[in-house]
Amino acid sequence: MTSALRFRTSAVLAAAAVASLAIAHATVSGQSRSGAPAARVTRPDLAGYWAAGRAFRTAEKDPAPLPANTVLLTDAGAPELAPGNFGGLKVKPAALAAALKWKPSDEMTLAKACQPPSLVYTMQGPFPMEIDQATELIVMRLEYYDLFRVIYLDGRGHPPADAPHSKMGHSTGRWEGATLVVDTTHVAASTITNNGLDHGDNVHFVERFWLSADGKTLMARQEFEDADVIENRGARLMAWDRQPGERIYPYECDPTFVLNYNSSRK
Amino acid sequence: MQISKVLAILAVALAAATATASAHHSFAVFFDDTKTIEITGSVTEFRFSNPHAIISLDVKNKDGAVEAWKAETNAVTLLKRRGWTKDSLKVGEVVTVDGWPSRDGASYIRMRTIKKADGTVLGTPVRNQRAD
Repeated sequence: MTSALRFRTSAVLAAAAVASLAIAHATVSGQSRSGAPAARVTRPDLAGYWAAGRAFRTAEKDPAPLPANTVLLTDAGAPELAPGNFGGLKVKPAALAAALKWKPSDEMTLAKACQPPSLVYTMQGPFPMEIDQATELIVMRLEYYDLFRVIYLDGRGHPPADAPHSKMGHSTGRWEGATLVVDTTHVAASTITNNGLDHGDNVHFVERFWLSADGKTLMARQEFEDADVIENRGARLMAWDRQPGERIYPYECDPTFVLNYNSSRK
Repeated sequence: MQISKVLAILAVALAAATATASAHHSFAVFFDDTKTIEITGSVTEFRFSNPHAIISLDVKNKDGAVEAWKAETNAVTLLKRRGWTKDSLKVGEVVTVDGWPSRDGASYIRMRTIKKADGTVLGTPVRNQRAD
């Protein structure tokens, strides 16, 4: 399947999934599973186009305390960690050895050039996303590599441990007041810091999403842990700006880009 | 056609580069954000595709020999929002590119800005130049 077709297919699937659940956007109402009228609960409206991820501004306070043994990485948004700098993550010996052995040129192959990063490195990047929101489902369509996330809010659990993994994983969510809390497992191994340090298939994420008071900024804190790779936990703070009327573009990655890169090497 | 190459490592530009050299797609491991360089040359190819558009240039070095350079840009989706199209550059036109050099010394630059022969800056400038 071409990336263009994949993009269109994912967009159609996402839209269909949301439509089938009767888009409620900001309001959740109806009947409970017992048939009794459910209380009408207003949820934050996350739907729409969110402009490129950027660094957290000082004024954008994180409302929840950072859990113990968690380091806040500073490479969200524009900055990036230099080679050999893993942002305070306490990397286990085997993973550290692999990370230090890694070379940038390892990534510049036709096979790897269009391999998307996982959840841990896509959300913080400088690309926009669109969110479709329903009562029991939220879909995040990322421009970066034409990826999309499905977040189930219907109370289901994660699949068995041996279920297939993907770069976006399996996400379930719940509302804690005005904060959307997302738990994600089944994420396929990928980079953590884009400089050689990878997480494994057992990485686990907890993300918290909330809106600014004026609804114009979406903020998130993404926490991750992987006992196979790091001894502590990592977290990043991210933010996006709402831009009504905008749309994400197809990414359509072309791996032959690396031929240009490699041809310039002496 | 005059083709010249100017290599300039400027303290002021260095500070500015450090402040604006944003990065995601392995920018920090591929490019040296403590230095900036500028090249002027003739476009030989313009590839407008993700993950990065590539501008190929013939650049005359200080000895008069022509060197083949590549200028890597941001992702095409980001460039489109800044006014770029696949027809923004034509083969044969002279442009000046400034940006960050490869760490491995290759004739490969990460573009920060690009000017046409008449001095026009291509695309809408951004305060935080993203690497992806």
